[in-house]
Amino acid sequence: MSTIDLRLQAVLDGERDAGDLPADLRETYVRLMAAAELLEAAPRLSVAARVMAEVRQLPAPAPLQNLGPMRRAVRWLSRPRAVTLRLRPVWTLALAAGLAAILLLPLQPPTSKPTPGASEGVANFVGHFPGARSVEVVGSFNNWTPGVLPLNDKHHDGVWHGTAVLPAGQHEYMFVVDGERWVADPLAGRYVDDGFGAGQQNSLLIVRPSTAEP
Amino acid sequence: MRLRLAVMLVLAAAPGLLAAQSGPSRLQGRVAPAALPTIDSIIAVAVAESLPTEPLVQKALEGSAKKIPPDRLVSGVLHGLAQLREAHALISQAVPGQPVPEGHVVSVAAALARGLPPPIVQRLVAMAPAEPPGPVLHAAADLVAHHFDPDSAAGLLIDAHTKGLRGVRLLDVATAADHELQRRGGRTHAEVLAHVRDMLPNVPGPKATVARP
Repeated sequence: MSTIDLRLQAVLDGERDAGDLPADLRETYVRLMAAAELLEAAPRLSVAARVMAEVRQLPAPAPLQNLGPMRRAVRWLSRPRAVTLRLRPVWTLALAAGLAAILLLPLQPPTSKPTPGASEGVANFVGHFPGARSVEVVGSFNNWTPGVLPLNDKHHDGVWHGTAVLPAGQHEYMFVVDGERWVADPLAGRYVDDGFGAGQQNSLLIVRPSTAEP
Repeated sequence: MRLRLAVMLVLAAAPGLLAAQSGPSRLQGRVAPAALPTIDSIIAVAVAESLPTEPLVQKALEGSAKKIPPDRLVSGVLHGLAQLREAHALISQAVPGQPVPEGHVVSVAAALARGLPPPIVQRLVAMAPAEPPGPVLHAAADLVAHHFDPDSAAGLLIDAHTKGLRGVRLLDVATAADHELQRRGGRTHAEVLAHVRDMLPNVPGPKATVARP
C-alpha cells in the first residue's frame, strides 16, 4: 500500500496552502488535481439513460382523444409497430406452392371472340382494301344500316377484319369502303343480283347455328 | 312507263290497301318520300296475299342505303314481290293442299334469285315438305353455280337426304363436290358427283361455323 506525504495530504484536505509545499510535492499536487478534474468531466450516466433523458425533454404528442377521426387514422397508420408473424411450416409451404402456381401457370390470353347462342353463329369478315380509310359491313342482318359493323385494319396492311354474331340462316351484305363505295365480298363465294337493275350483286352469307353438327 | 303500269296493276288488284295500313312505316325516314307511298302499297299487297313482307322491307332499306333512285328502288321492291309470288306458287304446286310457311317462301324466293331452275326447286321442296328448304336449296344453287348439271345436283342431294344428312349438313355435300372438282383436275363434273355420292353420308364437315365454299 502506497503512503502519501502528510504535507501533501494536508494541502489536499485544505488545511495548508499549496504554496507551502516543496517543489516536488507541489508538482505531485498539480498532477493529482488535473486527474481529479478529468474524473469530474467524465459522463456520469450511461448512453441509454442519456437518450431517455433527451426523449423525456421532447414535447409530448397530443392525446388521441383530442384528434379528429381522420388524423387518428393517419397517425395509427403512420406509427411504426412491431408485428410478430408466427407460421406453421405446413402453411408456409402451402403459401409458397400457391405463389409458385400463380407465377408458373401460363396466362390465358384475353378472348374477344363473341359467343353465339344456339340459333346463332359467328361470321368472320375479311376484305383486302389497301389505302382505304374505313371499311364496314352493311347487310340484311343490320337492316342495311351503315356504321353498325365497322372492320379494323389492325396491322395497317390493308387487310380489314371483323367478327359478328348473326342469326343462323341466309344474309345478304356488301362492304362499304370509305363510306361511299359498295363492294361485294370477293371471298363470299355466293352472290345474288340485288334486283335494282344495274347488275350489281350482293354477297350471300349462310350462317350455321353454333349447335349444328359438324 | 312499264314500271308505272306495273304499280298501277298492283294497286288495282288490291284496292284500298294503301288506306288500310296503320301505324308508322318502318321505312319512314329511311326511304325517299317520292318512293315511300308506292313501296308501302306493295308491302300492303304482300300482306293481303299472305306473303312475307320482311324481304320487301329489307329490299327497300337496301336500296335506300345504296342511294338507288326512287324509280329503280320501287322497281326492285316490285321485283321482290314477284319473286315471292312465284315462290308461293311453286311451293303450293310442290306440296298441294298444305299450308305454305313464310320461311319456305323466303327460302324458295332466294333460291330463284340465285338462278336455281323452278323445276329443281319444286323437286327439292317436295323431297321433305316439313323441313326448312333453305339449306338444300342453297346447296343445289352452290352446285349449279359451279356448273354441275342441275338435275344431277338435285339427285345427289336427294341421295344425301335419304342417307340421313339434314339441314346445313347438306351444304357440306356441295362443298365436298366443289373441293373434289378443284382437287382432281381432269375429272368430269359427273365423275365428281359420282365420287361424292360414294362418300355419302360421310362428307367432311365445315372448319368454321360460317359456311363458305
